[in-house]
Amino acid sequence: MRQFQVDRRTLLGAGALAFAVPLASSAEQLTGLGLPWAPNTSSFPTAVDLRARYVYFNADEAAFIEAAALRMIPADPTGPSALEAGVPLFIDRQMAGDYGKGARWYMQGPFGKSTGTQGYQAKWPPAGFYRAAIKAIGDHLGQNNGQPFHKRAEADQDAFLKDLSGGKVDLGADVDGKAWFTLLLQNVMEGYFSDPIYGGNRNLSAWKMIGFSGARYDQRAYVLAYGKPYPLPPVGIGGRPAWSMKG
Amino acid sequence: MRLRARAAAAVLAAGVALLLAARQAPVFAEVVAPAAPVAPATAKATPAVPESPQVAQGRYLAVVGDCEGCHDRPGGAPYAGGLPLATPFGTIYSVNLTQDRETGLGAWSADDFWNAMHNGVRRDGAKLYPAFPYPYFTHITRAESDALYAYFRTLPAVSYRPPANKLPFPLNLRFMVGFWNALNFKPDNAPTTGPNPGQHIVEGLGHCGACHTPKTFLGGDKNGHALEGGKLDNWLAPALNSDQRRGLGAWSTADVAEYLKTGRNARANASASMADVIRYSTSQMADADLAAVGDYLRGHPTHAAAVGDVRVDPKVMQAGQAIYVDECATCHAADGKAQPGYFPPLPGAAVTQSTNPTNVIRFILSGTQTVATDAKPTPLSMPSFGWKLDDAQVAAVATYVRNSWGNVAPPVSPSDVAKLRRKVGKPIQKPSAKV
Repeated sequence: MRQFQVDRRTLLGAGALAFAVPLASSAEQLTGLGLPWAPNTSSFPTAVDLRARYVYFNADEAAFIEAAALRMIPADPTGPSALEAGVPLFIDRQMAGDYGKGARWYMQGPFGKSTGTQGYQAKWPPAGFYRAAIKAIGDHLGQNNGQPFHKRAEADQDAFLKDLSGGKVDLGADVDGKAWFTLLLQNVMEGYFSDPIYGGNRNLSAWKMIGFSGARYDQRAYVLAYGKPYPLPPVGIGGRPAWSMKG
Repeated sequence: MRLRARAAAAVLAAGVALLLAARQAPVFAEVVAPAAPVAPATAKATPAVPESPQVAQGRYLAVVGDCEGCHDRPGGAPYAGGLPLATPFGTIYSVNLTQDRETGLGAWSADDFWNAMHNGVRRDGAKLYPAFPYPYFTHITRAESDALYAYFRTLPAVSYRPPANKLPFPLNLRFMVGFWNALNFKPDNAPTTGPNPGQHIVEGLGHCGACHTPKTFLGGDKNGHALEGGKLDNWLAPALNSDQRRGLGAWSTADVAEYLKTGRNARANASASMADVIRYSTSQMADADLAAVGDYLRGHPTHAAAVGDVRVDPKVMQAGQAIYVDECATCHAADGKAQPGYFPPLPGAAVTQSTNPTNVIRFILSGTQTVATDAKPTPLSMPSFGWKLDDAQVAAVATYVRNSWGNVAPPVSPSDVAKLRRKVGKPIQKPSAKV
């Protein structure tokens, strides 16, 4: 039994030996005389160019997205609407980019209705799914009384979105309406709360609403100030108005 | 029984050691490394045969002179030359110092070598360009020159001829250097190590003034302004003198020695061109010599005018503070005190208060990386902000750090930033960031 007992002195000695190994190394062995680094170089995001309007959505699609996003997040006393926050523009840039193309996704068949735990199962990447779904919804609504979604009354729009989310709208074999509604709602929330550099959350309005400090790293001065309001306004990756002298 | 326990402990120790070695535990090494024996960062194979005291002295003097800083090219054999030196007048390639008879110093005598070091004259009688710092090396003694010569005699011959210099007419005519010498160079007629070893290193082999002394339009040292700070390659080599704000006046001798040995101290981190000087030269110098250098530099008189009244637009300071709190405070802390020894404090720092704001602008635009030494093997880096801050914003935050926490320095203008930005180049996006 005693053979596995290690006395204190031996253990300390072992520890000292273990610690001695990295000490004997030179900087060259430890870091190869440097870690990867180059001047002017960093992993910065590509800011959305807000001068252009829609680059992916056509006029019909844009009208649908604007109307639907406005019903998902209407303006109220706590904060701006999805439209005011620039959400449709954010989604347009999402669809125009690698996310919309499913550039990093496995996009081969078989395709089918998702069991719910399978994740994304549409036969198109998100951009194509949006196009097909909005077209199918237009056709579906056109069959019934001809009024496109964005021209309908708010109550009517809400009723349709509710049906869509409940899987009660048949958009044909290829388009899973419920799955697309889930995707749209997800993208609307992303646009509302993401960094303004990507086109949504205009003027940091969503972050102001929830009191999120944004892309500020150092909170040591405030982290122990229990019960006191956080004193600084939110900041985006691209800054905040106080960074410029015009403000 | 006891034996087995020891064996078990040894296995445990080996396991832990392997684990630590595999992870390279940089943070740990960071904390305790100074206690470890320091091997040269560019450790050459120690000679199998013990070398003579003269060769050993020459080997050390080659380190003090940072010969490899210029005479090694990336991928080339040590001392084989070929590194392009971009001078304001054209590109000059360092020569081969190995013992090859055709392309190196193999055919040189000790007298030839002394003539080059002391008078700036090549073996064939042609004048060397002052990119080779003979105006400083002229202060070394004949014994030191002979020791260096003896060490270079031990370098294996490497046949390598550096590319031809790219100098415009008439600078490509070597006799033109004669005129330059007449104006800028005086051979030291009685070189001596003197009573002040720090001065002997700084003014001689160390050739600190090659970068840290302001230059005339001819590229010679400005008379009477030794070590007051020079420009080089779009950097400022800061003042090395007793100036409290812009020099080493607030540093102790130990501060200077620690900086030169490890690449950092509680006041500053070394990067850019100084990184190579520390890597090849000062980190391998004897502690006593570094202390002597520190003693000399921090007592070196300054002639720079005191900082006068500085007026800063409060709106600029407000914008600068907003940027500082959001971006810089992460490492440098809201009060600027940062993490001494890791992230350099800004209050009282020469780099923030130098009259010429080049370095503070460039650090913000391009970022920078601290040198890795055996004592401090983890090179800390500052990210670049050139991609997110425009010229006015860089100017505002630079002005803010130059005039906060007791700092005083002239404000930085957006046009200063624009000018430097054109020289240091555009932001580069890492491929991994493109989605």
